[in-house]
Amino acid sequence: MVDVSTGTGLIAIGAGLAVGLTGLGAGMAEKDVGAAAVGAITEDPGLFGKAMIFMVLPETIVIFGLVIAILGIFVMNV
Amino acid sequence: MSLPESMSRIVIVGTRSRIDEAIDALYSVGAVHLIDHITGADEGFSIGHSRPYTSKASERLLKVRAMEKELSIDKHTKAPSVPFDEISRKIESGGVESVDEEVYRVIDERNRINQKVTELNARKTDLETLSVLPVDLDLYSGYESISVLVGAVSGDPSESLKALESAECFISADRKKGGAVAVFVRNDDKDKASAILSDYGFTEMSVPEGKGPAAEALSETEAAVAAAEADLVAVGEQIEALREKHKTFLKAAEERLSITVEQGSIPLHIATSDYSYVVDAWVPTKQTAAVVDGITAVLGDSVHMEVQEDRGRNLHESEEAEERFKEAPTKMKNGNYGEKFEYPTKLVSVPKYQEIDPSILIGIFLPLFFGFMVGDVGYAIPFIILGAYGLKVAKNKDWRAIATVLFFGGIWAFLFGLFFFGEMLGMHFIGSQTATSTTWEVLLGVTFPDWFNGVIVGIGKLHEVTFLLKLSVYIGIVHLMVGYVCGYINIRMQHGNKAAFFEKGGWIITFMGMVLVCWALTEILFNGRPVEGDFMYITLVGVALLVAGVAVNFKTEKIQAILELPGIVGNILSYTRLAAIGMSKAGMALAFNYIAIFMVADGLGGMAGIIVGLVVFSFCHLMVWTLAILSGGLHALRLQYVEMMSKFFVGGGKLFNPLAIRHKQTKPVSSQETVSAKKSTTEV
Repeated sequence: MVDVSTGTGLIAIGAGLAVGLTGLGAGMAEKDVGAAAVGAITEDPGLFGKAMIFMVLPETIVIFGLVIAILGIFVMNV
Repeated sequence: MSLPESMSRIVIVGTRSRIDEAIDALYSVGAVHLIDHITGADEGFSIGHSRPYTSKASERLLKVRAMEKELSIDKHTKAPSVPFDEISRKIESGGVESVDEEVYRVIDERNRINQKVTELNARKTDLETLSVLPVDLDLYSGYESISVLVGAVSGDPSESLKALESAECFISADRKKGGAVAVFVRNDDKDKASAILSDYGFTEMSVPEGKGPAAEALSETEAAVAAAEADLVAVGEQIEALREKHKTFLKAAEERLSITVEQGSIPLHIATSDYSYVVDAWVPTKQTAAVVDGITAVLGDSVHMEVQEDRGRNLHESEEAEERFKEAPTKMKNGNYGEKFEYPTKLVSVPKYQEIDPSILIGIFLPLFFGFMVGDVGYAIPFIILGAYGLKVAKNKDWRAIATVLFFGGIWAFLFGLFFFGEMLGMHFIGSQTATSTTWEVLLGVTFPDWFNGVIVGIGKLHEVTFLLKLSVYIGIVHLMVGYVCGYINIRMQHGNKAAFFEKGGWIITFMGMVLVCWALTEILFNGRPVEGDFMYITLVGVALLVAGVAVNFKTEKIQAILELPGIVGNILSYTRLAAIGMSKAGMALAFNYIAIFMVADGLGGMAGIIVGLVVFSFCHLMVWTLAILSGGLHALRLQYVEMMSKFFVGGGKLFNPLAIRHKQTKPVSSQETVSAKKSTTEV
């Protein structure tokens, strides 16, 4: 059993929520974009680059979540 | 930051009697991008007709392609290339026709046998059904007052058929396979019998011709099917032999004839009158003289050429031009290194003639970002090897693009891994062991020389988190600034300084202001720095720049100027992925190393521990390495596409596509042979 304080535990939970919830959000956004992108690429493979741009737009949210989690865990000295 | 090659528009006028030579000359200079003539654009001229030799060549091309399809020769079939004049001579002397005759003799034979096999198989199926009935084949027909109903049934109709008084029934019922029935009835009772049988899923069949029991006929038919199939195999071998024999000729002939047809159709793109032709074309400005000389050398006095304009980058020039001359084609010019990264640019769009081609910027930043995110010697070396191998063997442009990124990205990853992070497979080279991680020095039991310690900075990906996040943000600021400046240069080129200032200059000022204000805010909020002295002035400058930038933008973009502000912060923060993805890789590597070294190798102990530990170690790192391609590559590319290129890149240009013979299956002829080959061009 690792002995940690309540505050540390809360930070760890917060970090988990930050990554988990943003991941969920990005996933929900990307499912629509991805489906449309695959459809568009089937029609015209030349659209791949543009489709990819739209496809990767929402995953910035996860990166923000990840950064917050990292800041929480490492910078706040858990 | 390179612009597409400068283009000039030239017009070539000549006598129609020498048009074939002119077409050859246009192809031989290899730098002429035709502008399609539009009916009615020039008085007295109309779109020309294809050359007389085109129809014969098209007919032959059709034959060649049909034969290729029959012999399953496609673009993946490998065949040696043939000298251009040799294939021309062969085609000219009726090569296509004689091969066509030879091939189709065999193909027709194959089709005939195929048909025979189909017929025999149908007969076999019928006979199989009838073979269960004890009636000879010749007894099924030849009656005047009796009707015969023969076919398959799904149930057993014996009971129901008893209702027919004077019927002779032969029934064979089988639950699984289904049964067969033959009913001999008076002509008057035929309808009645049909009605009874239809309740049992009766499907009538026609009795195959023949004599004696159906079983005997069945074995004869089976023997005939086997014989026909053997014939088919033999013909298949003949076709295979023909494929080997003629694939070189057919592939070369297809290429040669396609060129002839393409050349013969050139008059459909240009203007012609009764006695002359006019060609409008784009030529790279620096090649104009060479093109003029090249064409004059062939046509001498019977051609006149004039440079109409040297197209500049200002959009007013294009807007004033005639519709067909509005858009100059884009010939990307990025040097040896940059051209390797034209593919990612083209994935988004071809740059316009009047804008900066981002390929070289992608070439600089994409491998750099990829390398920074991977930042590990152990992962870098396989990347470099894989990339170099890919560049050597890959022909497909998608694979080549991936190999390019892996190779150059691998080099950066190696440099960052060795000098900056001082890390291999998630473990530092130097340092001491802790509870959860170890170093190569401890693991190998060696001490690296002092000079080695000196060159390594040794940033811990999971220790100096704040520093790495800040570094990523600074890299982002530089990268975004490059994007904004390119945007400014583009608009300045297209519309002049004033437009550039209001459209892009405002954003540059806003961006600088935002950077300073954000920096000041973090200092105040996180570090509690008092607002005084130099810091106060810097903060004030930041606020002033921000306000000024928004004011400038407000003139052109209205409320959007304010709404976009959080977007700038989002863009900058987006670069923290550089550190975050590096950290996630390091985190995974740390966990896997802990499992392999501390839990497995130390836990099991002895030789077995080391072996199992090594297996776990290799497998886990292979996983991290594979993930690095996906996350590192995609995120590095995204930062180019979304963050940087959206600041300046519009795209939608038209690629420069000069008339030229592209040899794949044919070999170019030497200069002495060229003349004879060209003569035959017109005859083929």
